[in-house]
Amino acid sequence: MGAGVSLEANPFRVGLETERTSAPSVFVIFGASGDLTKRKLLPALYNLAVSRLLPPGFSIVGFSVTELTEEAFREQMHEGISKFSRRKPVDETVWKDFASRLHYVSGSFGEAANFAKLREKLEELDRKNGTRGNRLYYLAIPPSLFPMVNDQLAKAGLVADPNDASKFSRIIVEKPFGHDLASGDALNADLHRVFAEKQIFRIDHYLGKETVQNLVALRFGNAIFEPIWNRNHIDHVQISVAEDIGVEGRGKFYEEAGTTRDIVQNHLLQLLMVAAMEPPVAFTADEVRDEKVKVLRALKPIVGSDVAKCTVRGQYGPGNYLGKPVPGYRQEENVSPTSNVETFVAMRLELDNWRFAGVPIYIRAGKRLTKRITEISVHFKDVPHALLMQDGSHIEPDVLAIRIQPDEGIGLRFVAKVPGPTMMLRPVTMDFRYGSTFGGSGPEAYERLILDSMHGDPTLFARADEVSAAWNLITPIHQAWAKQPPLPFPNYPAGTWGPKESADLIERDGRAWRRI
Amino acid sequence: MRLSLDQVERELAKLWELDAHAAGGSRTELMTLVALVSEPRLLERAQTVVSEVVKIHASRTIVAVWRDGDKPSITADVALHRPAGTAAVCGDAITLEAIGTAREWLPGNAERLALPDLPVCVWWVGDLPDYDDLFDRMVVGADVVVVNSGEMDLRDLEKLSSIATRSRGHYALADLTWIRLRTLQDLVARFFDDAEGQACIKDLQRITIEFAPRPDEQDAASTQAGLLFGWIAAVLDLSPEGVQWKRGDGWAEARLGGVSARFEAKARADVRPGVITRIAFDAGKAHFEIARADDPRVYTWSRDVPGVATPRHTLRVGAFEEPALLVRCLERPKRDKLLETSLLVGSSIVKSVAPRLTAPPPR
Repeated sequence: MGAGVSLEANPFRVGLETERTSAPSVFVIFGASGDLTKRKLLPALYNLAVSRLLPPGFSIVGFSVTELTEEAFREQMHEGISKFSRRKPVDETVWKDFASRLHYVSGSFGEAANFAKLREKLEELDRKNGTRGNRLYYLAIPPSLFPMVNDQLAKAGLVADPNDASKFSRIIVEKPFGHDLASGDALNADLHRVFAEKQIFRIDHYLGKETVQNLVALRFGNAIFEPIWNRNHIDHVQISVAEDIGVEGRGKFYEEAGTTRDIVQNHLLQLLMVAAMEPPVAFTADEVRDEKVKVLRALKPIVGSDVAKCTVRGQYGPGNYLGKPVPGYRQEENVSPTSNVETFVAMRLELDNWRFAGVPIYIRAGKRLTKRITEISVHFKDVPHALLMQDGSHIEPDVLAIRIQPDEGIGLRFVAKVPGPTMMLRPVTMDFRYGSTFGGSGPEAYERLILDSMHGDPTLFARADEVSAAWNLITPIHQAWAKQPPLPFPNYPAGTWGPKESADLIERDGRAWRRI
Repeated sequence: MRLSLDQVERELAKLWELDAHAAGGSRTELMTLVALVSEPRLLERAQTVVSEVVKIHASRTIVAVWRDGDKPSITADVALHRPAGTAAVCGDAITLEAIGTAREWLPGNAERLALPDLPVCVWWVGDLPDYDDLFDRMVVGADVVVVNSGEMDLRDLEKLSSIATRSRGHYALADLTWIRLRTLQDLVARFFDDAEGQACIKDLQRITIEFAPRPDEQDAASTQAGLLFGWIAAVLDLSPEGVQWKRGDGWAEARLGGVSARFEAKARADVRPGVITRIAFDAGKAHFEIARADDPRVYTWSRDVPGVATPRHTLRVGAFEEPALLVRCLERPKRDKLLETSLLVGSSIVKSVAPRLTAPPPR
């Protein structure tokens, strides 16, 4: 809960459906003229306004280098919302009220005078809208600018003491959280110079997805899964984050990141953490994040010769997307024609802990794959005795698949008897789909996460030690790759499931990637 | 095609099988929704509503209607719910028609057709008679019982309160009108979320509730207004004992302790009869107000507390058609103690200005 709001003391809240409401605050977006603001942040904030989830007086200030009048900024945001909001068309009545709370300050982040201007604006809003010094700073800017903004915020006196109960300052940062262990730690250290950890909200939008939260519900809200969620019953786990699109104009970024930094270090490891963590004592921020980070700490480091054995890299070449020819990665805009950056990665991971010792976890992520799908599949062990297969054929083991996107849902594959006089068995699936069961579209990940940051609830945000522990796994792999001779890239055509070595990685263990 | 009851499950199984062959469809259902249609003219409305509800809450629906007739019988009609434009099936639909005294057989047959292991929701469509044996028997096996106090008179708050009391926790009573009130409750609660707002509560002296009256309205307030005030009085711990009423043309005023509540009937053609169009609280120099704008789905929310800046807000409220309300009742099929308390307090407050219920029929 935020400063200035005390629900416990409000008798009108007792028993009401609204479990949470936050204190009036100002949401300051650094990099407000950028794509993220238009595509994600403003549509999410607008949707919160439509759902009446913004507190009275809540205001937004966009801050960017681009010279814009407030009116022009509002027009741009209206355009963004019209195009990217899940609710269309724009409700002009709500927009009018929303737009009246939308402000803009322009100037470079390096000049103290601009932060003085920002401070003036924020104080004016405090007076006018009763926002009481409560601030949320959203850094929609490249990480290289974080230290500068941090310093300026501190110098301008715009960061409240974390122990001051009368007002709050929180900072929300987007990935990438560094590009290796050293830079990740340096970034954290820099943030910590100005903000306490409890004031820092590191967004990984995967954690805002309903299905990721449903995985927690599935594991800890049902008594039947947890007893079999261990090495005694699970043969292996597969996690796939597959995209069918290419780098989509983000060549420059991708050349520095690659799939391992863009997807594995954050989204994919977040999925792994939620799938493998121990039940937390309570569903509170620290308890949940303590358990998550233990998973990362239990990951067996991939070093030395294991890097070649347990990891596969790929880069897409020309191929097709939905039956139309598409260029290879090296032909994309702002990509070097000799680039050695991976657009696909597969790994074999292992957890050195009591629950999962000896259970391999195969992960893969990539661009320009056959289809767009993010999924965790838990593959159970074979039945101990093939009682029902007299001809010696294999009974397909059970698989529990948790689909994160698209078609969020859960599927269970198990074996059933084919009707008839003989004991023929066949795998069948039982499907639960969010869409057909609950209908409608739920809130988007950004809506949930922004709302949580307003409430001061960091449960679904990455903590500094999580980020470090994730880099701890990834950095030695990167270092080993850097020492290897360049691979014969491209090594998979666009529109396929990645290089052959990816299939080899799992087939060496007598297993195969699940058909998804 | 009319089916005998023993054919229902078989026919439904065939329909699911055909669907599985055609679309490989999955079957997930969350509950059995039984709609008891109190008058044949409401059948179409009930069917439309349940077919909308299953889009959000995939369910088996049983719509039961009864007609006069000499030969008692129940026949059924079955289909799958397949929303237009989608391939996915979201439940199976059973319509039961009871003729004559076969109405008495509906509870047992509805129970037989309910899906195993899943909650049963009984929705009474239309006005609820003061005493109805069918209703009493149906609710015994239900997990959630849904009514709509908005289709009832002010005196019926007492009846609903008694239904909630009789449940003894066996089923949860839900009210579509109460669901409609949730937005207003949240907006009222927002007045008092901060310390400055909370400080005003002890000084509350006047509450005004404006509502759109029904044609030829006789009641002192609409059930919606009575229910909302029941909630406010419960929150403020205002005892209904010794309530004093004054009535005039188009208004009624109740005095409880140091607080007066004024109900004003203000005709408005663009809203449903009974709905609240304005709520205002006065506490010393502070004024709090929620009012419907010209667009009936838009509210303006304003708060004037000396020394505290709070901008006025314009908020849009959802459409709140009957299916959406029913869906929200089903989202949390749990006992709603706040509704029960509000009904109890509200019905006690309005008792002296609402005609009493008819006497129960002899046993």
